[in-house]
Amino acid sequence: MADERIGVYICHCGTNIAGTVDVEKVAQRIAGLPNVVLAKDYKYMCSEPGQAMIKQDIRDRKLNRVIVASCSPRMHEPTFRKAAQEAGLNPYLVEMANIREQCSWVHMKEPEKATVKAIALVAAAVAKSVFDEPLQMREVPVTPAALVIGGGIAGIQSSLDLADQGFKVHLVEKTPSIGGHMAQLDKTFPTLDCSACILTPKMVDISRHPNISLLAYSEVKAIDGYIGNFKARVLKKPRYVDESKCTGCGLCAEKCPVNVPSEFDLGLGTRKAIYVPFPQAVPLRYTIDRENCLYFKKNICRACEKFCTSGAIDFGQLPAEVELEVGAIIIATGYDLYDAGHKAEYGYGIYRNVINGLEFERLVNASGPTSGKVLRPSDGKAPRSVAFVQCVGSRDKNANLYCSRVCCMASLKQAHQIKEKFPGAEVSIFYIDMRCFGKGYEEFYERVQQEGVRFIRGRVGEILENPDDKNLVLRFEDTLLGEVAEREFDLAVLATGVIPRADTSELQSILKLSRGPDGFFLEAHPKLRPVETNIDGVFLGGAAQGPKDIPDAVAQAGAAASRAAVPLSMGKVELEGIIASVDEDLCSGCRICESVCEYGAIKMKEKSGKQVSSVIEVLCKGCGVCGSACPTKSIKMCHFTDDAILAQVKAVLRD
Amino acid sequence: MKKYAFFLGCIMPLRYPGIEAATRLVMNEFQIDLLEMNGATCCPAPGVLGSFDLENWLVIGARNLSIAEQLGLDITLTCNGCYASLQEASVILNDKERRGRVNALLEKVKRSYGGGTQVKHVVEVLDKDVGSETLKNHITRQLKGLRVAAHYGCHYLKPTKIRAHGSSERPVFLDDLVSLVGAESVPYKDKNICCGAGGGVRSGEPLVALDFTLEKVQNMTAAGVDCIVTPCVFCHLQFDLGQTELRDKGRLKERVPVLYITQLLGLAMGLSPEKLGLYDNSVPPAYLERLGITGGNK
Amino acid sequence: MKDSKANRVPSWNLAKEVMSRGARIYPLEDLNTLYECVQCGTCVGSCPSGRRTALRIRSMIRGIQMGYREEVLDTNDLWSCTTCYTCQERCPRDVRVTEIVKIVRNIAFEEGRAKERHLVVANNFIKTGHTIPLNEEGKKTRVKLGLSPVPPTSLLFPEALAEIQEIMRTDGFYNKVIRDKK
Repeated sequence: MADERIGVYICHCGTNIAGTVDVEKVAQRIAGLPNVVLAKDYKYMCSEPGQAMIKQDIRDRKLNRVIVASCSPRMHEPTFRKAAQEAGLNPYLVEMANIREQCSWVHMKEPEKATVKAIALVAAAVAKSVFDEPLQMREVPVTPAALVIGGGIAGIQSSLDLADQGFKVHLVEKTPSIGGHMAQLDKTFPTLDCSACILTPKMVDISRHPNISLLAYSEVKAIDGYIGNFKARVLKKPRYVDESKCTGCGLCAEKCPVNVPSEFDLGLGTRKAIYVPFPQAVPLRYTIDRENCLYFKKNICRACEKFCTSGAIDFGQLPAEVELEVGAIIIATGYDLYDAGHKAEYGYGIYRNVINGLEFERLVNASGPTSGKVLRPSDGKAPRSVAFVQCVGSRDKNANLYCSRVCCMASLKQAHQIKEKFPGAEVSIFYIDMRCFGKGYEEFYERVQQEGVRFIRGRVGEILENPDDKNLVLRFEDTLLGEVAEREFDLAVLATGVIPRADTSELQSILKLSRGPDGFFLEAHPKLRPVETNIDGVFLGGAAQGPKDIPDAVAQAGAAASRAAVPLSMGKVELEGIIASVDEDLCSGCRICESVCEYGAIKMKEKSGKQVSSVIEVLCKGCGVCGSACPTKSIKMCHFTDDAILAQVKAVLRD
Repeated sequence: MKKYAFFLGCIMPLRYPGIEAATRLVMNEFQIDLLEMNGATCCPAPGVLGSFDLENWLVIGARNLSIAEQLGLDITLTCNGCYASLQEASVILNDKERRGRVNALLEKVKRSYGGGTQVKHVVEVLDKDVGSETLKNHITRQLKGLRVAAHYGCHYLKPTKIRAHGSSERPVFLDDLVSLVGAESVPYKDKNICCGAGGGVRSGEPLVALDFTLEKVQNMTAAGVDCIVTPCVFCHLQFDLGQTELRDKGRLKERVPVLYITQLLGLAMGLSPEKLGLYDNSVPPAYLERLGITGGNK
Repeated sequence: MKDSKANRVPSWNLAKEVMSRGARIYPLEDLNTLYECVQCGTCVGSCPSGRRTALRIRSMIRGIQMGYREEVLDTNDLWSCTTCYTCQERCPRDVRVTEIVKIVRNIAFEEGRAKERHLVVANNFIKTGHTIPLNEEGKKTRVKLGLSPVPPTSLLFPEALAEIQEIMRTDGFYNKVIRDKK
């Protein structure tokens, strides 16, 4: 192994490393190790001059191994690999030693010990590098199509953005219509434009776009493959209505005798057993709700079938499975609303005049169950006083610690609407902090203050109901006065928080995605890769990643589309060279590796009369699980061989 | 036959022996054996003595637990205050380090506590050991028409993290028991609010405590009830004696009689009001007349 | 601004005292939530005592956070809490409000700030093992109900009383009560 010529570069990272670790001493000590041709320290290794120095040395000093001791390889390994490649060195002959996150930052108060540890870490990298072999990136073609899961405003935005760029988009929506929560909203803050007025044109665009195939009332059941080459299985649930024949005329629903609480109106209004969720639904195709249809329940009725002039009713329709091939996937599954029933002290679900914010939207909406009149559920009377209770299920360690980000503005907007409809009404917002951080938000807060809405700084302790008139008594402290109070209101609106969708776990296991402690899907980097996930080729749009209002959901969805467009427009992707390989002579065919592989990258094959495992290179992520599970040591992890790791361990233990 | 070490506490044996008698009679009917904890003391009172010195509170609690441990039995008791002290002490003393400190003191009196003694409120014994089926089978006198204000008290349910009987906001076990004996649990305002006695407030700020009690009784009266039922001996005292104190101060005219849960149950099981100590409460049991009960048949 | 609250300097000393003292009984990580109070007012809005007394439990927690020792300890409000735990149950930051009240009372008691009425109860306890006395009428009622005249507690077993008195002499509680009783 005398041929190794190793160059070592110790980064100061400004004072991030050099403020704690004695970088010069590290360089001196490392310079004395066998095969080390040079060891240098420099202020910012990742800077242009830093990289130029490495490239120069590779050429001039004929280096065939490069060690960079700096930050986490997650930050700059690609940077230095690229630099090496530009100087003619195989990028896999670059090793990183993390002396920032794993050394200077965690041992800030012990500089001497930190220096000793840094020397050990760098020496280990030097020892390992001797075993590194040149590897090749693999290039695979990309299917120029995308799967967008979820048809709310985020999914709509992502789909349109990709389709407009010329890519084929499959938009899968679980419910009978796209539109999501935004379709349920009345006006939107802070501009007060009508939600449906700005949403429905986009919904129509989806239905008309030549590049978009909409799969509504459908669910993604399985996804295999990898960036550029995903295969998705989608289940089309039976509507019992032939989509190609249904004209959306609505005669069937008119004739249907069954009334069912409407999901779209959150149970405040009704729909029929054959229905569209709302008049502007896309696709405008009717769906039979099997649970409530008299034909399915009692084998009677069939009124819809009798009256349908286009013969679209098909009681015998079966679920159908569709297989899609796509190069990228965007998750735009949105959110659920926190169930305020968990905060039993507020009586939601028990007191009829305690409602949540989304229910308010349906009540105030002209196409809602009360035709836009805000009326008390208990007696249908107009409320003379309304309380908005903030932070129900948000900023609460007994529910969700995070701030749901939309509720302050939503309540301000709703308070404004009450004042608009009933100028004499007493409207109070009970809050911990008013968080009005977006563009035009503080200005809207000021406007609502001007309108005479009362702001009371105090989280509501409990709500009681007067049994006779069903009025509500709120108990609270006006914390700015230190006064305990009880005040009666006609209606209380709970600003319920935003939570991960109930089916998040299903999609998580289908795609093997990560979730944060808040339960939402986790982005690859909170600042620099906010729409990517831990799975290459899978992106996040909208509130699936965390609570978002409409402007933020649209921005995130657009960003996800533009990130997804990168591999789609490149037409090919490069896959990591670090993968597993099987020594077929040693393999006993026990199939343990196959059972532990999370990515389905191991397949059995026949080799001279026996079954041996083989690695499907494009699927292998190089995680190493198979290698460590293999009882005969027949699986080798390129770049992380046993010899290399043992050499690293020995180097650390040397001093 | 299920056996428990019966922790008496202070108020039940010294002020409301009727509750002690009723509990012993009812448990006997269910073949639950209550053994004496000879030499037990005050739990000690969580509100007063816990407020003075939590470490002393813990060691005295540990001594009481050690008596049951010697008997090889879990504890049952009738007062939410005693439950607060002993149940919490048993949880705290699951921690080895804290148990060690307590045992260093108990050693002086040749005692030790090994941990693991369970403390069960009579409510739990009725619910878990007896069960609603057996309870139903023992009801011989349906208390039809009896309108009951159920008062839960605080410390059986809270803090929920260590009591672990579910949410404290809208409990139902007492209402269920009231329905089970054929009576009606009447909803009333602020049903879950404290009687006012706890936390040393009855002894330290008696007028504040009575103010709580007055408001609760007024809410109960407004709902039209015949009696109050509670699973806590201290709440029982606060309502029974407290109403008399309020009447004597001229702040309350009509008093509402109070029953402890085992007294209510005993009545429905056909036991005589005299033996259940119903006449030994400060407020006379006016509801008996309405129910047409003059004497028991057992 | 002489002799004014405006010049007070906040300190974490009282909070630390409360937490370290409380940690002898309760888990420290539970008590550490004291740092997290956002003064939202849920506690006071839920407090049945605050509706009839000057007790503002939120202000007490704030006073502890700021280290205003006298204000926290030398107030009657401290003794108006019935320990009903409603505040603690509803606190969105999981601050152990009721437990903190007890710990603060422990500090006040140690400094001789307990109420005379409470000391009567404590005195009963150290003399008999019970917080209330057994009177003749009580004995009669017990007998009438078929119970033993004296319950089998420290009232019946003098050696049991001696045991707890020994414990309370060793841990200092006995002297604290007697000292304060004067």
